[in-house]
Amino acid sequence: MSRRLRWGLLAVVLVGALALGSRSDPGPVTEDRRVERITSVVRCPTCQGLSVAQSDAPAATAIEDEVRRRVQAGESDGQIKAYLVSRYGQDILLQPEAEGVGLLVWALPVLGGAAAVAGLVLVLRHRRVQPGRKVSAADEALVREALGR
Amino acid sequence: MSAVLGTAAVALGLAAAVLGMATLALGLRRGHPGMLWTGQRYVWLVLAGALAATAAMQWALHTHDFSLEYVANNGSRSTPLLYTITTMWSALEGSILLWALVLAGYIAVMARHFRNRATDPVVAWATLVALGVAAFFFALMAGPANPFRLVAGAVPTDGPGPNPLLQNHPLVAFHPPMLYLGYVGFTIPFAFALAALVTGRMGEGWLVETRRWTLFAWGFLTVGIVLGAWWSYEVLGWGGYWAWDPVENASFLPWLTATAYVHSVMVQERRAMLRVWNLSLLVATFSLTILGTFLTRSGVLDSVHAFTESPIGPSILGFFALVVAVSIALIGWRGDKLRSPGSIDAPVSREAAFLANNVAFAAFAFVVLLGTIFPLLAEALNGEQLSVGAPYFNRMTAPIGFTLLFLMAVAPALPWRKASAETLHRRLLWPAWAGTLAVVACVAAGLRGVGPLLAFGLAAFAGAAALRQLGLAARAARRSGQPAWRGLLGRSSGGMVVHLGVVLVAVGFAASSSYGHRAQFRLAPGESASVAGHTVTYLGTTTEEHSNKRTTSAQVRVDGGRVYEPALHQFPHGSQAIGSPSVRTGPLSDVYLTLIVPPDSSGSSVIGVNVQPLVTWLWTGGAVMAFGTFLAAWPGRRRPAEPHARPAADPEPVRSEPVVVS
Repeated sequence: MSRRLRWGLLAVVLVGALALGSRSDPGPVTEDRRVERITSVVRCPTCQGLSVAQSDAPAATAIEDEVRRRVQAGESDGQIKAYLVSRYGQDILLQPEAEGVGLLVWALPVLGGAAAVAGLVLVLRHRRVQPGRKVSAADEALVREALGR
Repeated sequence: MSAVLGTAAVALGLAAAVLGMATLALGLRRGHPGMLWTGQRYVWLVLAGALAATAAMQWALHTHDFSLEYVANNGSRSTPLLYTITTMWSALEGSILLWALVLAGYIAVMARHFRNRATDPVVAWATLVALGVAAFFFALMAGPANPFRLVAGAVPTDGPGPNPLLQNHPLVAFHPPMLYLGYVGFTIPFAFALAALVTGRMGEGWLVETRRWTLFAWGFLTVGIVLGAWWSYEVLGWGGYWAWDPVENASFLPWLTATAYVHSVMVQERRAMLRVWNLSLLVATFSLTILGTFLTRSGVLDSVHAFTESPIGPSILGFFALVVAVSIALIGWRGDKLRSPGSIDAPVSREAAFLANNVAFAAFAFVVLLGTIFPLLAEALNGEQLSVGAPYFNRMTAPIGFTLLFLMAVAPALPWRKASAETLHRRLLWPAWAGTLAVVACVAAGLRGVGPLLAFGLAAFAGAAALRQLGLAARAARRSGQPAWRGLLGRSSGGMVVHLGVVLVAVGFAASSSYGHRAQFRLAPGESASVAGHTVTYLGTTTEEHSNKRTTSAQVRVDGGRVYEPALHQFPHGSQAIGSPSVRTGPLSDVYLTLIVPPDSSGSSVIGVNVQPLVTWLWTGGAVMAFGTFLAAWPGRRRPAEPHARPAADPEPVRSEPVVVS
């Protein structure tokens, strides 16, 4: 089998498997799932850095019950989060909304990452062997010293 | 008595560090070898000061000398022996003392290692810089973070003991010292980097000198971080091991930059490139350990580890600013000598892969740093209170993690300078198939989700690539008439073993964070519940009185087998009960039990059950990484022949760059 064919086969198998694996069973969006989805980005106010979904603290349980009540009452995720923000402040959400100052924390890494990749590409494309580079006297002295040892 | 001895010891350490610096500075200025030799001797006085201060602190803790504020606030008569010892690093002042002790130890080992070269300006400057760092930490203890301060007013008869979380698991005796051995260890390569800059001996000499030091510091930091995750898993009771807490991030940041350095340093040794970059990484690593100390010890950020608000913030921030300013100024000053004679020949080569690896690690560190300090920035910018937590970090770092796994799979197979398509094909096809088949097997086993599947596939790819390298190294050793295991010693093979450890950690992380199940049940004695195929039966509770706490344990039978005992501990001085989980560990999945609410009048308790796959792979991976570091640091031939790292049709090119050996 030719080289290209073997890699092509590999790519087909890999993409096929990933496509199959990405089809998470759609199932209905249950109440439990919605509660889990919301509480996993809500901070437990009495814990340190844990989400409500991760914590068993009384305050976390209280918020989870409140979220569940509102899910049952038919409120949207956005409405529930807005309620939590109005009740506990913006910092109840574990990830800032991408607006105002909060936008920075999302945009800076993306911009920085893009710049870094661009820089890398530039460095790799502008590689050039420098012919006839002058060796400084200091370098030569160091080499002599090193070889003399 | 301990107070007098301790204060005197701190004063001795501070004075010795300052005098040593002055003597070395004078000796360097006058070119006086005798003074350089004398200056280096002061290191032993610094060590004596640190040892005596530690002894005084331990003595005060064990004799319950509550006239010391530190002992009065953190010691207690009822604390068991082990936790009385660890009380030394259970609060701010004592942890600075531990830092000073480890630092003095490192400097002493360095002085001994280079004792025959005391008059070499590079060594003298490095000692001077290291003593400067030591002087700063001793000054902290002499001033704002004095562990030997006396209590104001009447001497109490007993104290509250250390934070309940810090006297609940023996890992507290290992995690902080390991972490500090890592953090502080970077002082030595940093000192040598500054010494190289100051003296202008910018060749690769200082790199070679400090290579093993860096490796050891890196290994300790890795072990410290993994032990911290393990401690968090065994003690905190939420079922996780990594919460992207500011202190965890503070330890992870220098790890990221140090890992980048450990890789890029090979490019400099081999090709004399990336000199400024390597110096910057080393400086970044050292300053991030200081910045981490500032973030977590000054009370500006909320964290599990943050000790109470303390006045040392400004001093540490000032020291951080000084370190950064001096380093940048020196690098700028020596800019002309740092220009690299080599260049990258091809975008598909070992050095290009290392460069990409460094960009990825730098981006990783940037995201973690930004997320950690963003709440402070937002508040400073417009007074907004924001949180940046796990969902942010997971989402932003996942693509970088995938990139790193991919590079880890590909880079070891790439030759230096230039790779031909034939080489790539020959070396990568089978590892790539291993990754692909891993994905196929996982999908066939019913696992879903692109994220974890991609992680498993890339991990298998990287694992196979590392195994291939190890196989080649073993074969090369046998061919040269040595036993095969000899091929596993040394840097390249040790590095591949570390890669295998990283693969285990990556798989454990992806699996446990994607396929966990958690639930809690109110159960009466005899009742059962089931989670993800595991049945737990609640049998009842017992209560035990200990010298320092009252413990309520629940007996829970898992899958009809052994009985596990998650517990709640009530400490006399702690307001909140501290839970201690009980975990049935297994190679494939952990059943993590917590007692959430102790039995009510009817005898029913609330039990938390958390089933997570492959958690043990994380700890195993950490151990494998430590073992790999050990192999990599194994003394031996400087550079193994690396026949596998060379393009087949391309004999080793004649080196064109000047190689500087000092």
